[in-house]
Amino acid sequence: MKGRKVWLEQLGELSSSLQLGELLLLHGRLFLMRDAAHKRLFPGDTKPDVTLDWNGKTIFYAGPAKPLPGWASGSIGPTTSLRMDPFLPALLQAGACATMGKGPRGEQARQACQRWNAVYLVAPSGCAAVLAQRIRKMQVVAFEELGPEAIFQAEVEDFPALVAIDSQGHSLFNGIAAPQCGS
Amino acid sequence: MFRVCEQTLSRELGEALVQAQVNVNPFTRAVLERSTCAFSGVLLENVCVARETGLPLCQDTGMVVFFVERGNQLQLDFSLRDVLQRVVENVFASNPFRFSTVTDPLFDRKNPGNNLPAVIHERVVAGTDLSIHFLVKGGGSENLSKLWMMRPGDGEKGLVDAVKQHLAKVGAAGCPPLHVGIGVGGTADEAMEMSKRALLLDPGQRNPDPRYAALEKRLEGEIEQLHLGVQGLGHGPSCLGVHVLQAPTHIATLPVGLSADCFLMRKGNVCFRGQRT
Repeated sequence: MKGRKVWLEQLGELSSSLQLGELLLLHGRLFLMRDAAHKRLFPGDTKPDVTLDWNGKTIFYAGPAKPLPGWASGSIGPTTSLRMDPFLPALLQAGACATMGKGPRGEQARQACQRWNAVYLVAPSGCAAVLAQRIRKMQVVAFEELGPEAIFQAEVEDFPALVAIDSQGHSLFNGIAAPQCGS
Repeated sequence: MFRVCEQTLSRELGEALVQAQVNVNPFTRAVLERSTCAFSGVLLENVCVARETGLPLCQDTGMVVFFVERGNQLQLDFSLRDVLQRVVENVFASNPFRFSTVTDPLFDRKNPGNNLPAVIHERVVAGTDLSIHFLVKGGGSENLSKLWMMRPGDGEKGLVDAVKQHLAKVGAAGCPPLHVGIGVGGTADEAMEMSKRALLLDPGQRNPDPRYAALEKRLEGEIEQLHLGVQGLGHGPSCLGVHVLQAPTHIATLPVGLSADCFLMRKGNVCFRGQRT
């Protein structure tokens, strides 16, 4: 599969060079979390019970299925990013450099990417068995009791993703079409 | 009276549920083979990897929604509802699927770790057979659901405009190309149930009333014109098919329900002929 190889540890420094619609192959460390963990981390009016260091991190909106014996991860793929929009400004303010999920995001999220020089990536959905093979290691970081909604840390290899909002706030979903590229 | 064997039912239904999660249906496969997007390669590879490993095609292994038609001459010596729940529990316990339910929806949202409950729609029909259809319903496409209590005067144009505007707004998030079910008439609850039941049909199947069949084709064209594209990325097909089911309604109402399924359209059915006892 063609695509620009990107080390997740360097994504923050690279973000302004990433082109809208560009296909990336991610390597390195991702943090998985979705609805329930966001609600606990960014409760709004009260203090969160856990604080994590988000500086330079890439967050993947995902909750994995159960792994097969001997596999690091079960089937895995992006969930709808739009639901996490209310939490995005706080996450980017805390230092996260990228988020990854599926589907379009709202105007608030686009502006947040622009303001904090962050990118939003889209990972393939309905592709979860292949993506499981691209995960080398996975462990729970917090909220184990949430099951698939816990926060996980995953080591990925050749993990495909498209740049859907760039660090200047341009969005693939605002009528700017992705380049055709069959692979 | 006629009977159905509980063990056979559990076994065959369990197998069908697993197949729906790991084997792609021929309609989806055909679409994946002929459309190109940035992810075409990995999407096709996923079809093979899932089949070979038994890993589900999508990590969202959904809530299971059953549509049961039970012959009035059947006498079951077990609780069908209990058996359906148990089959789901066993399948999710013994396969690498995801537990995707929470018991209390508003306050606790605690995951029971068994993917229960399944949703069951049951009706009694004339005959001696037991027919069980099911949808494996992921949360992303379920969130596209919509009910309109339209004015009777809104008519076909009102319906088409509502569907079009709604899917233009939210369709890209439901993993297109979408399979869309529309329920027209009945009461609010009935319209929604019909829209779900419509998803059991296969692409290309048409409503027997030519006016509704024409509406299905018109809606397919309109959704295609939204250019949602594969994965919502704007290229390739946007719609796998539209099915409309209709029912009598009140003089003051025109309920329209919409349900949508993602491009994987995970569903299945088992049918048992009642054995004379």
